Amino acid sequence: MNISHIVAIIKKDFDIEVRQRYAIAGIFLFAVTTAYFIYKAFNNLSGLEWNILVWIIVLFAGLNAIVKSFVQERKETYLYYYSLFGPLEVIVAKLIYNYLFTIFLTFVVIFVFTILFGNPVKDYTLFLKGLFLGTLGISSVFTFVSSVSGAGSSSGTMMSILSLPLVLPSVLLMERITAVAMRLITDTAIAKDLYILASIDLLIIGMVIFIFPSLWKA
Amino acid sequence: MKSNWWKILGILILIYTVIVGMSVPLKPGIERADSISMGSNGNNASSISSGENHVIKVIGYNTNYKDNTNKAWLRLDTIGAVAATKFETISETEANVHFTIPTIFPARDTFQLLSMVIYNKEDGPSILPDAFSIRTNQRSNSNLTEWTVDPITNITDKPGMQFPYRSVLNETIRNTFFHIPLWFSMFILLLISIIYSGKYLKNNNIKDDIIASSLVNVAVLFGILGIITGSIWARFTWGTFWTTDVKLNMSTVAMLIYVASLILRSSINDVDRRAKLSASYNIFAFAALIPLVFVIPRLTDSLHPGNGGNPALGGEDMENTLRMVFYPAIIGFTLLGLWMTSILIRYESLKDRWLSRK
Repeated sequence: MNISHIVAIIKKDFDIEVRQRYAIAGIFLFAVTTAYFIYKAFNNLSGLEWNILVWIIVLFAGLNAIVKSFVQERKETYLYYYSLFGPLEVIVAKLIYNYLFTIFLTFVVIFVFTILFGNPVKDYTLFLKGLFLGTLGISSVFTFVSSVSGAGSSSGTMMSILSLPLVLPSVLLMERITAVAMRLITDTAIAKDLYILASIDLLIIGMVIFIFPSLWKA
Repeated sequence: MKSNWWKILGILILIYTVIVGMSVPLKPGIERADSISMGSNGNNASSISSGENHVIKVIGYNTNYKDNTNKAWLRLDTIGAVAATKFETISETEANVHFTIPTIFPARDTFQLLSMVIYNKEDGPSILPDAFSIRTNQRSNSNLTEWTVDPITNITDKPGMQFPYRSVLNETIRNTFFHIPLWFSMFILLLISIIYSGKYLKNNNIKDDIIASSLVNVAVLFGILGIITGSIWARFTWGTFWTTDVKLNMSTVAMLIYVASLILRSSINDVDRRAKLSASYNIFAFAALIPLVFVIPRLTDSLHPGNGGNPALGGEDMENTLRMVFYPAIIGFTLLGLWMTSILIRYESLKDRWLSRK
């Protein structure tokens, strides 16, 4: 494992993203359109609805964005990468890149929601803790599933039915933590929830790193 | 024949489970007990005060009140019990029991809970826990002699094997031998399947993939049966087929994960690629299953035993008579599942061979 290789892959992914501007712009437009749609339909949101809708939009926008992380380039290019990098470097780079992307996406969605509906968050440290840990779980599951389903033909549907049940524990825990951060519910064992979310993330990332090398050969 | 002994064993165990689990009677119990008299200061059934005389109508379950000398007590835990002044038998399962509630209660809360105990020679003791909540007027820790005049003694259990009587569960307690063992054997099958998935990723032997996927198929079937038996059980104990209970919903999500893995398999045509992807997904899905089924339900309230502060299988919910059927049932369902798997494996390998010859 070589850090400079990982940085190189992340930089390559970022460059592709910037050059194919329609893809990234499409994702953000999706998020903004959905938020605006909700704004026109609801006019006003309670804290609970705000919390749930933000995460649902992040979930589906992230799903659309990450699904292409293993199919956006041609097969021959992947063969080239295969000769250059080890599987561990590729998957770690993809995990980091998708994680950063999901966090960025989340902040964009929260920004749009804040402008349209206001911001019900009371405890920002706890909210950010929940956000960083939860999006880590979501982006790692999506990365893994895209490496599995990217091989299949109908990757869009496949991706959602494979990954949505898998991210459910992380999303539920994250929603609970952010709801506590908005003072919607009280929970004295919030530190325990954070530890559990962190350990689910570690479990997922460990499994991804453990399984990916045998997938990469294919 | 020699290699098939475990199939016969599995079927014999399941026959034993069905026959014993369905035919052994429940212990005699008290279905309900309500005060049908007014107290001295006009209190009705819902609020009984200390020092009053009350007639309590008892409805028993599986009991034989006629032709037996029945005794009844109201028991206050650790202190003692007061015996009934009179036991009027109406029918085998109905009786009016007269009590004089003692005037002095031990120094504790204003409201104290009394359990009801009824005993006769034929039925043995039957208990209704926390039957009445009594408003106490005098509380002290001395002069508690009223509680120890006629203690609960000379009690012998009903001979023979019976399953415990629980007031909400009633006869549905027998579902313990089907609902829970189905989930246990599902987990055993999934555990074996990830071992074979790991073996496939290591050796790339297509036989391992066929074994793993057949095990997942049977495990999904068992899981769906587990949900159905649980749903029927919920209808008769909690009142509806489906509740918002975490464990129910988490196990449904777990089933969705595995059904998705079966769809993933059928979506890929290339045999090696399909084997590789479904083996990877299978291992990942099992890792995701652990927080779903073992962690999240313990965090929130649940109606299931073992979650949200309820006692688990080790607690008083499990009695030795139940264990005598419950543990064999787990082995029986697992063996049946393995037999079903072996048939599926044979079918899949034949299909594989036939397709490759074509």
